[in-house]
Amino acid sequence: MYEFEYHQPKTLEEAAKLFADADDPQFMAGGQTIIPVMKQHLAMPSDIIDIGRIADLQGISVDGDTLTIGAMTRHGDVAGSDEVRKSIPALSDLASHIGDPAVRNRGTLGGSIANNDPAADYPAALVALGATVYTTSREISAEDFFTAMFETALEDGEMVVKVTFPVPEKAAYEKFPNPASRYATTGVFVARTGDGVRVAVTGAGACVFRQSDFEKALDTDFSPPALDGISVSADGLNSDLHASAEYRANLITVLAKRAVKHAG
Amino acid sequence: MEKYGIGQPVRRKEDVRFLTGTGTYIDDIKPDNVAHALVLRSTHAHAKILGIDGTEAENMPGILGIVTGKDWIAEDFQPMPTKSAVNKKIDGTPLNQPPRHALAIDRVRYVGEPVALIVAETVSQAQDAAEAVEVDYEELEAVTDQVKALEPGAPQIWDDIEGNFCLDFELGDKEETEKAFKGADHVIKLDLRNQCVTATPIETRGAIASYDKDTGKYFLQNATQNVHANRDTFAGVLKIPSEDLHHVAPDVGGGFGAKNSGYPEPSLLLYASKKIDRPIKWISDRNESFAADTHGRDQATTVELALDKDGMFLGLRTKTIGNIGAYCWTVGPFTPTGGSARTQGGPYYFPAMHYTGIAAFTNTMPLDPYRGAGRPEGSFQIERIVELAARELGIDPVELRRKNLMPADSLPRKTPMGLDVDTGNFPEVFERTLKMSDRAGFAKRVADSAAKGLKRGFAIAPYLECTGGGPKEFAGVKFARDGSAALRVGSMSTGMGQETSMPQILSDRLGIDFDKITYVQGDTDATPIGGGHGGSRNMEVGGSAVLQCANEVLVKAKQIAAHLLNSNADDMELSEGVFTDVKTDQSVSMVDVVAASFEQSRLPDGMEEGALDTDTIYEREIISCPNGCHSAEVEVDPETGSVNVEHMWVVDDFGTIINPMLADGQVMGGIAQGLGQALMEEIIYDEDSGQLVTGSLMDYALPRADSMPKMEMAFFEDAPTAKNPLGVKGSGEAGCCGAPPAIVNAVLDALKDDGVLHIEMPLTSEKVWRAIAEAKAG
Ligand SMILES: Cc1cc2nc3c(=O)[nH]c(=O)nc-3n(C[C@H](O)[C@H](O)[C@H](O)COP(=O)(O)OP(=O)(O)OC[C@H]3O[C@@H](n4cnc5c(N)ncnc54)[C@H](O)[C@@H]3O)c2cc1C
Repeated sequence: MYEFEYHQPKTLEEAAKLFADADDPQFMAGGQTIIPVMKQHLAMPSDIIDIGRIADLQGISVDGDTLTIGAMTRHGDVAGSDEVRKSIPALSDLASHIGDPAVRNRGTLGGSIANNDPAADYPAALVALGATVYTTSREISAEDFFTAMFETALEDGEMVVKVTFPVPEKAAYEKFPNPASRYATTGVFVARTGDGVRVAVTGAGACVFRQSDFEKALDTDFSPPALDGISVSADGLNSDLHASAEYRANLITVLAKRAVKHAG
Repeated sequence: MEKYGIGQPVRRKEDVRFLTGTGTYIDDIKPDNVAHALVLRSTHAHAKILGIDGTEAENMPGILGIVTGKDWIAEDFQPMPTKSAVNKKIDGTPLNQPPRHALAIDRVRYVGEPVALIVAETVSQAQDAAEAVEVDYEELEAVTDQVKALEPGAPQIWDDIEGNFCLDFELGDKEETEKAFKGADHVIKLDLRNQCVTATPIETRGAIASYDKDTGKYFLQNATQNVHANRDTFAGVLKIPSEDLHHVAPDVGGGFGAKNSGYPEPSLLLYASKKIDRPIKWISDRNESFAADTHGRDQATTVELALDKDGMFLGLRTKTIGNIGAYCWTVGPFTPTGGSARTQGGPYYFPAMHYTGIAAFTNTMPLDPYRGAGRPEGSFQIERIVELAARELGIDPVELRRKNLMPADSLPRKTPMGLDVDTGNFPEVFERTLKMSDRAGFAKRVADSAAKGLKRGFAIAPYLECTGGGPKEFAGVKFARDGSAALRVGSMSTGMGQETSMPQILSDRLGIDFDKITYVQGDTDATPIGGGHGGSRNMEVGGSAVLQCANEVLVKAKQIAAHLLNSNADDMELSEGVFTDVKTDQSVSMVDVVAASFEQSRLPDGMEEGALDTDTIYEREIISCPNGCHSAEVEVDPETGSVNVEHMWVVDDFGTIINPMLADGQVMGGIAQGLGQALMEEIIYDEDSGQLVTGSLMDYALPRADSMPKMEMAFFEDAPTAKNPLGVKGSGEAGCCGAPPAIVNAVLDALKDDGVLHIEMPLTSEKVWRAIAEAKAG
């Protein structure tokens, strides 16, 4: 690891100032991505601004039909939260299958979505549930937030503060884990709300995407057979050591059907 | 006393230390004034080194020195020769062996090959400097597949070794085998691979070297499985007498063969520590472990089985091409030749067999023994061809196996491969495994799985293997006045529990309180010789040495006891720590005998103070033949191709069991590694660039706790071997022999209605899914 300055601000203002004053700063939440990257000498930030002590980034709450989760909330806390389990069980289920216990005890919602790993789980949930990302300067809809592989709408120095999720009528997430890392080889989040059905796919492409032909079919008939006969094209899907594009295309269908069944 | 004797499931003494974080692994040792080293490694699979410029790096903060291949050669340090027991080609000429230096000199031949050693005050300074070292490479074409490496026109890895050919080897009777095939009603043939895997011990390798100017001696603490042989290797490299190198292994966190060999790093550290006159520490990181720990398996094989019209086996013909990487390494060429040959044919009765093995060089990290070193490969080969024969001939695979197992009364028998199978009962072990497997309930479980959309399969895989490793072992015991004993043994535990099982033997034979026995291993000053660990030899050779040592102590202890009781040594009987005169009923305790051994006045003539202290060397004559049977039930999800191993049943014949709890652990660990090979593990190099693709735990899949099946294990203890005084047959590698074929064949059984006949390991979900799709498409 290259040498760097370490800071631990207590407020958003303090963090913003530290960020503005540093040469090449990076925020650090759970450190589950940034630390390995630094250990491998793939990043050389001058300053690490640990946002773990900022009170405004903490907390889980439910208000009417909206679940709000602070950016610094650890995956393990989302998985263990009664509020989340009662309002959106699919989300607590998703969080409980991220990585391993060590990763879940450190990794955070904000860090996960800011990083936008193409194989991360949360992006599928945010897009399918129609979540809103609140940053230090604005609100961004989930679909506009995730822009490309490892890219988001965040500007330099802009921080994710919290995410709000409208509580759906039904939702479920099905993940096919990568046998080595346990990230999603492919993951499909299906949610039905008053506005209709949304199907978001992660792990299969460069960035989370919606499977609109599935959504249409499920809008009329929210049952697994509704997806029969719709073939998913492998074009543009990822091919890597663990799964070819064709295999991922198959997983999208299989997992979507299982998610629909699971959502009930 | 009894509960610490032979056969008792004594809990591991060392667990307290290991489980509370108070073990002393190499990285826990922090000598004063220690400097840190980093090994700069080749980023190319094959390239000329045109030059190395370390000027900028040398002037960076904290840098204490940089050693390159040029410096190394200038010192005239020696290459490390291979110790492969098979070292001649079929034509009798010696194997082709390139020089293996600790640093690449003018050419690199695999990604991860050491190019320079950088020594600094801190690891992070060494890392920074590593980026400033400029290595001028001229890339050459690389080949990482052993079959392609042997093809005409393949890139030449060594200028003077034509065709990347190391050696060939054969065993068995070629003519008899050919005759058997000619006269056969059926011949079944299969091409298969045992893919390349790596051991991934939880503790990566590491070492600390220092040099004492006053005594002129070196001290090396090293996460190794074998201190004596490697001491000699490193001393040979540095051209110093072995006595000048004290080599110690602290607690070692797993080896599996990958910590057996003479690696390059220790010699580099020893040299540099003398040069800068400071201790130097090097700890491999996980990525380095993938690139630069020896790999295992990697055999491309054609196996053919000849049968008569009734399904009786007539002959077996196996041809293997093994990858050994860019060098011969320590014993690399042995694995695909002698290592895989001996147990060919498994526990089946074969009138004729013939084995051919070729070892080929490629641009990969070299291969060396990995848990089983050739026997798991052989076991997989025979079990796959038998399963395929059953399928193609429409015979029940259980029945086909049953009728071809070596009958109990055929033992002792020398197999056509020359393996001396003395004791065992293969049919009995097979039937017991089958019985444990609840075959009656299988149909219902198949139906239950089907109701969930899953396919369930079953397979049974008997195995026969053999031990190996150094045949000689030292054991010594030194007593103290209070009756405690310090046991020193030259074999080594890297986490298997010999700190518990070796004292168990001593306690059992001498009636010494188990808790009063301390145990020392892995120290060249503590034992004059030592074979370390390898080939499941610990209990067989090390344990036998301990028993022999205990027996020698006992002879002397009886003389002392008799002297104290004014009676005859022959009349002394030891029970529960007390010697009793069978004639007079007088008694004296072992503790008292030990105390007396320190008082000249209480000793018989001819004995001196400390008379009970005993050093001994045991030598094994013939390797033993552990055997057993695994069976597996798996569920396959046809929509995704994913496999779940539901249940495994195992009966092992390891001869006498010293500690069933530890033996169980060996079996479970072996199953875990076998399951890993069957379903997920694979070292992959990019075909064109020769880059290591699976260089981290994000890409190299290992089994986790939740990948493991329910396991039921039992031991068949009715056939102890007479090849060693304990009657033991090694238990360390057996799990890796039985699990892969049981699991793979069970998956193929689940897919039999789909017409899938073969899938190469690892059976990843995509491969299984594709196999189903392709079989469907015809
Ligand atoms: C072994 C392993 C397995 C994993 N498995 C999975 C898995 O199965 N599924 C999955 O989804 N993920 C997985 N992860 C990822 C992990 O769960 C984390 O979500 C992820 O590493 C990022 O979260 P973090 O809090 O650790 O962020 P950090 O590593 O601290 O930061 C990551 C990036 O986000 C930025 N950042 C962090 N917080 C904010 C914020 N509030 N606002 C703006 N920018 C911010 C940082 O500057 C940095 O660039 C795995 C990770 C590991 C190491």
